[in-house]
Amino acid sequence: MTKEWILPKGHLSYWLRQLRNTASLIAPLRVDGDIVFKSLENIHEVSLDNPALLPSPKEFLFPQQESLFWVEDGTKVRQLYNNEKRFVFGVRSCDISALRLLDRFYLEGYEDPYYSLRRKNTVFISIVCNNPDPTCFCIGLGTGPYLEKGFDIQLTDLGDRYFVQAGNTKAIRIIRQWKFLFNKPKRVDYEDQYEVFLSSKARFQKRISLENVREYILAGKVKDSFWGSVTERCFECGGCVYECPLCTCFTVTDRVYSFGIDRVRLWDTCLFKGFTRMAGGILPNEKKILRTKRWYYHKLIHYPDVLGGFGCVGCGRCTVTCPGKIDMATIAIKLRDLQDND
Amino acid sequence: MTKTYRNIYIPERTEIKEKLYLTGDVCLFRVESERPFEYNPGQFFMVSLWGAGEVPISVASLSNKRREIEFCIRRAGKVTSAIHELQEGNFLWIRGPYGKAFPLEYAIGRDVLIVGGGIGLAPLRPVLQWGLQNKNSIKKISLLYGARTPEDIIFKEDLQEWAEKGINVVLTVDRPGDGWDGNIGLVTTLWHKAEIDFKDAVSFICGPEVMIKAAIKDLFFFGMPEERIITTLEAHMKCGVGKCGHCYNGEKYICTDGPVFTYKEIKEFNLL
Repeated sequence: MTKEWILPKGHLSYWLRQLRNTASLIAPLRVDGDIVFKSLENIHEVSLDNPALLPSPKEFLFPQQESLFWVEDGTKVRQLYNNEKRFVFGVRSCDISALRLLDRFYLEGYEDPYYSLRRKNTVFISIVCNNPDPTCFCIGLGTGPYLEKGFDIQLTDLGDRYFVQAGNTKAIRIIRQWKFLFNKPKRVDYEDQYEVFLSSKARFQKRISLENVREYILAGKVKDSFWGSVTERCFECGGCVYECPLCTCFTVTDRVYSFGIDRVRLWDTCLFKGFTRMAGGILPNEKKILRTKRWYYHKLIHYPDVLGGFGCVGCGRCTVTCPGKIDMATIAIKLRDLQDND
Repeated sequence: MTKTYRNIYIPERTEIKEKLYLTGDVCLFRVESERPFEYNPGQFFMVSLWGAGEVPISVASLSNKRREIEFCIRRAGKVTSAIHELQEGNFLWIRGPYGKAFPLEYAIGRDVLIVGGGIGLAPLRPVLQWGLQNKNSIKKISLLYGARTPEDIIFKEDLQEWAEKGINVVLTVDRPGDGWDGNIGLVTTLWHKAEIDFKDAVSFICGPEVMIKAAIKDLFFFGMPEERIITTLEAHMKCGVGKCGHCYNGEKYICTDGPVFTYKEIKEFNLL
């Protein structure tokens, strides 16, 4: 169910201020030339003129570190929940697409209570990318720049106004709370919105089909010598994992204080050697090539098989982060070239 | 907070009722939980000790009505060493059971071959116990069990009891000490003593990875169908519920897709 409105640009800050009064508002913010997602106090701090590439909002659902529970006197277990209601404004379509898979991953089978609660309490207001970065390749994956469904509230910048779409009943209720700010869209609005979408599509520099890459790998055409050359360039920094909106691995550790024990979970990386270390020091993935391969196989083979979509939404963050230039896009292009020469 | 969510990460308290050393570094913990748990052979629990951490340990007993669970734990790493320090009456925290159990129904009407190595006998123990309970519906049970030295053999009393109750128990050690007059060598040199019809049998295997690999290869060669060669794999785990990613191997999560796998799955998904 999708409903559309028009929000004149002059009304945006008023609307955000209203949202800010009902829940905390997280939005992109310029800090020393860098753009970060942060909880806002002043609406005028919101940065609207952003590049397509922003930090992943993954940490608002799955924080880099979080306390799971406290144990006092060795027997009293106190659960810790963050029940804060939040709006996350300014997220990109690719990250919203990632949520579809994250939801399946965290909520199906054994439901992760921490993710679940955060997800229920968070409304995402995403912005269609009018001007994709050179590193973006969501277009080939159907995960952006514009979404047909799966969003909470989606805004398209039409110059002097936003085309607003609410993708579920909760989002519709939020818009209706301040309906005096929104107008009914006219035919010209729909036309302009479509035009923006078309021009954005035309601006993509990278056209990558991960489907082809997957087929190629599954056909057994990618030899270990290829993965070997990829591995040689891997610095094992874990940058791709931390930046990736679809990397979900974590480790759990107990922090011991005089007044109790804090069981914490932290982001972890399959690219680290110790990731699979078992008691007694056995390392099943001691060979680096196994770890690099694992990252690609997990995203290209396992994710589609189990969750119905690639473990990549084409955000291009790993392209920017990877010091060895063995990011998803580069590897996909290399494999496509190999395929063409086959 | 208004609504409470069922939290999969919070373990429940159990009390250590008995602590029994089986060898120098392997200890059997019999714990009593505050509520009954239903678990099946092959499944595991995440066992926690505050401040030390959490480890996956498979059940070494059959589910019973007395709220008892037995864990056979070898002192191997940080957490297991800390658990070994516990005394009877101390608390051990558990959550589970997790993972797929052994498909015991395959054993009905067939010969059963159980192959164990070292502490790998622990997850197989409830299979043997189940076998004795269901003797009439199974043809024959053979156990091939290997340990490094005679002192490393675990569940000595059980082995004796099983032999008395009609299970074909074949033991072997790598390094015999004084007074050992049994078999010497790997379990995979003892197939002729199994005395079963390999083509119409089911095998349950657990032990070190090299042993599992060798055993699988031989049994398949003897004509045992690949879906009836069943083993259980181990991996480093942090959650036990398919979220943390540590046990992802081949194309499967050991915790939720396993830890019990057939040779068919192992081959298909490159698990070993």
